[in-house]
Amino acid sequence: MISLTSYAFVSMILFSIGVIGVIARRNIFVIYMSIELMLNGIALFLITFARYHFNMDPQIITIMVISIAAAEAAIFLSVIILLFRTKKSLDTDIFTTLTQGEKS
Amino acid sequence: MSDLIFVALSIFAVLGAVMMLVYRNPMYSALGLLVSILSVAGLFALLNATFLFMVQIIVYAGAIMTLILFLLMFLNIKEEHLPKEPKKYMLIAVGAIIMIPFNMVILKAVSNLPDADMNIMANSDFGDIKPIGMLLYNDWILAFELISILLLVALVGSIVLAKRKKSKKENA
Repeated sequence: MISLTSYAFVSMILFSIGVIGVIARRNIFVIYMSIELMLNGIALFLITFARYHFNMDPQIITIMVISIAAAEAAIFLSVIILLFRTKKSLDTDIFTTLTQGEKS
Repeated sequence: MSDLIFVALSIFAVLGAVMMLVYRNPMYSALGLLVSILSVAGLFALLNATFLFMVQIIVYAGAIMTLILFLLMFLNIKEEHLPKEPKKYMLIAVGAIIMIPFNMVILKAVSNLPDADMNIMANSDFGDIKPIGMLLYNDWILAFELISILLLVALVGSIVLAKRKKSKKENA
């Protein structure tokens, strides 16, 4: 029988895989996608509680989360373009300084 | 029936996320994330959030994933651009161990809550587009306006960041 706990379990697994992706991977694309996965897990948790309490406010908050994720996608991907253009790599370990433009 | 759909969608969501986590090529990672996002959209539909189901598919699977895949092709990523990750599986194991206590706390808290009916409702306008819109424009109008300003700022900011700067040779 599906209950609140099973939905919570799935969203916790998704959130945890997102956190593990941020910890373990060094590819900047995968780190960005892990952040998206974390937002998805939290959205699922919110929707679960919206259904549980029969209240639609969490669904509005989820719309806000999705629009913030869209804004974040635009900024993050243009930052990736900028970093890839200067460094020709996707490794996060070499993005160690914020003063690239003045040095080179 | 809906139990079976729930189990299938959860397995797809978790498998897609694991695929995203372990594949070295970012293109395969993006496809795994796409599977995961579509399964989460299906779970939204099981929870009677029909409008959110459409928003998830249009915004995430449509817009954001297209942006990611387009950018992956645009940057023309080759093998030498990818970072070497010799300790990837060890770090994944460490991360999993770190996350276990956090998950235990949340699951303990959630499983103590009283049980309620979570099945899909027939002939109900819960989560439909009209009540969501009424709620959004009556109670959450300030947040809505702030989101529109945020999207404008993100638009301008991404154009400014990704604009190709003129090199010094061209200026001279």
